Amino acid sequence: MPLGFELVELTADERALQQEVREFLARELPRGSFEPGLGMDNPSDRGFSKRLAQRGWVGMAIPKRYGGHERGAVYRFIVVEELLRWGAPIHHHWTADRQSAQVILKFGTEEQKQRFIPAICAGELGFSIGLSEPDAGSDLAAIKTRAVKVDGGWQVNGTKVWTTGAHETDWFIMLCRTSDAEDRHDGLSQLLVDLHSPGVQINAIPFLDGGHHFNEVVLTDVFVPDDLLVGEEGRGWLQTGSELSFERGGPDRLLSPWLLVEEFLREHEGTPLGERATATLGWAVARFWGIRQLSIAVNRMIDQGRAPAAESALVKDMATRFEQDVIEAVRQLVEVSPSLESGSLFERLLARSVLAGPSYTIRGGTTEVLVGVVSKGLR
Amino acid sequence: MTTTTADELLVDTARKVFIETCTFEVVEAAERDGWAAGVWEAVAGVGLPWVGVPEAVGGVGGTLADALAVLRLAGQHSAPIPLAETGLLAGWLLASAGLPVGQGPATVVPGSARDSLSLGGGRLTGTAFGVPWASAVERIVLLVEDGGRWKVGSIAAVDAEVERSLNLAGEPRDTITLDGVPVELAPTDVDAAAFERRGALTRVVLMAGALDAMSRLTLDYTAGREQFGRPVARFQLVQEHLVHCAQDAALVGIAADAASRAAVLGDASFEIAAAKALASRAATTATRAAHQAHGAMGMTREYALHHLSRRLWAWRSEFGDEHRWNNEVGTAAIAAGADELYPLVANGSDRRTRT
Repeated sequence: MPLGFELVELTADERALQQEVREFLARELPRGSFEPGLGMDNPSDRGFSKRLAQRGWVGMAIPKRYGGHERGAVYRFIVVEELLRWGAPIHHHWTADRQSAQVILKFGTEEQKQRFIPAICAGELGFSIGLSEPDAGSDLAAIKTRAVKVDGGWQVNGTKVWTTGAHETDWFIMLCRTSDAEDRHDGLSQLLVDLHSPGVQINAIPFLDGGHHFNEVVLTDVFVPDDLLVGEEGRGWLQTGSELSFERGGPDRLLSPWLLVEEFLREHEGTPLGERATATLGWAVARFWGIRQLSIAVNRMIDQGRAPAAESALVKDMATRFEQDVIEAVRQLVEVSPSLESGSLFERLLARSVLAGPSYTIRGGTTEVLVGVVSKGLR
Repeated sequence: MTTTTADELLVDTARKVFIETCTFEVVEAAERDGWAAGVWEAVAGVGLPWVGVPEAVGGVGGTLADALAVLRLAGQHSAPIPLAETGLLAGWLLASAGLPVGQGPATVVPGSARDSLSLGGGRLTGTAFGVPWASAVERIVLLVEDGGRWKVGSIAAVDAEVERSLNLAGEPRDTITLDGVPVELAPTDVDAAAFERRGALTRVVLMAGALDAMSRLTLDYTAGREQFGRPVARFQLVQEHLVHCAQDAALVGIAADAASRAAVLGDASFEIAAAKALASRAATTATRAAHQAHGAMGMTREYALHHLSRRLWAWRSEFGDEHRWNNEVGTAAIAAGADELYPLVANGSDRRTRT
């Protein structure tokens, strides 16, 4: 069955919110006053995350009793798309807001909810993702990190990799093996791990451009108390599957090269663009517009209590392949050798996009894995 | 408050009519004979061609949303009749000028660079190309400039000399030659750009229907067809085709929804341009994926894939191909400027007035 995406019509309130975010950004973070990031690849700024939280723009899809705003996924979409397209420094709270708080909300104990979620909603607590390992990337069930039951908690040993931002964030939700089972999807559990715990060693894995985003997180005899087990012991696989719907369906999978397009136009304002550049610009804008409608539709499904695993994978795959196409299309419109040191913002963004672009179809589930997920949904 | 969703009862009725009448054999026969009287009679019998045309000029009422929802189903079922032309195009033009809508099928002159029609003394002379179903309709409607303003003209099809011609899908796209044919004329507020957009909207909606049907057909075929001891849908490389086809169907489906909704509400210039650009591109990529997944069977006359793929190839060029509409969207983007570019994407044509 092809999947059903329903067009989302924004309400008057949602449009007013959109306007409010735009005005906030123009005032708080005027263009030219900061180096904008490419979508979610942008700097961490705890102060900015707190200011957003004070406006009620962190934890929007979280119940009020945990410090959230009970606004839902579409409301969050509207706010974060504006932040992303502006290139605002949202990295500090990004993962916590997008998925960690949702996991704790859905599977955590009342005590965990009280302890973590209000701090996430305040923009204070940053999270990373503790899934991939040296021998377990797309084949996540192959993870080897193991937690052994000890008095009062768990003793954890293992290594996580590609852990974006772990050198700057505070916690991660870690998938690990807590027992051996016939089916390797059983016996996995999720633990909340304080990245400042004794035995946690964080080593940079330099990105290909020399930047520091990725880390290796080595856990040696790390003690995790019993009360930091998330959900049910042995149910970690299913809980992780639900987490990925939140990770895949959002505007962050579409808007990475947005500023590249916008800055291309800004740099050429006042000069005739010619037919080829006009058509390329039109191609990109039409596709941003169309895929955005699908992405917002996925978020409406989340608000309706559905788990759109296949739909979000379908959109993520299409959106990220498009992101890469945009970079190449824009690159061919200009005669420049992109450089990170260029004096032009457009050229710096182009250089960064070319270097980061291949990661778009890898992070958050590779194209190849997504094809499998969508195919299951289409059967 | 304007209704932006279609009447469910009407959509159900339309679906039943198309399922019952548009069988594989009927669609084949229509291509051979140039007309499908049975389909037209059933569809006209429940008033579907005139949905969205005001009763005052001879339509059956209902909304634009209703008419577009019915047209989408026609696209899904490869309905071999001038449904878009009779109501959404000819009926709309006639209504805009207060001219009566007749009983039978009608069409419009899409207008091409080669056309040579000229108006003089209330009569039309010259040639027009690619007129859909001209050989089968009773009335031909066109938009003409007369003394510096736009007018709708309506002529009886019997007055035109019709030379049969076909598009890639075997749908009539005829050449008409007029020799001083009397024309009923009345002024309209529709201009050439609005007419082209309206035409593009009908093709987007038809294509959304066809892409949806093509995605389903391809899923069904690959689930049943076995090679190397298992359904071909189990192979990862085949799955990639299925996913790409479903993505195109989803993208054009939601673009058609958004363009339809904007058209119901008012200014839809951005949405229709963007949607036709996406649909025309998807016609290329989705048919490539669907055909590859079907293998040789998809290339045969006996199997229904070509009813959909050939229509998509024809419709992607009609009322502007992807290059033409990409340019239109690009021009709108340049006019919006860098600061207003994202608001254009997020809010569309009415980004200033609808906040």
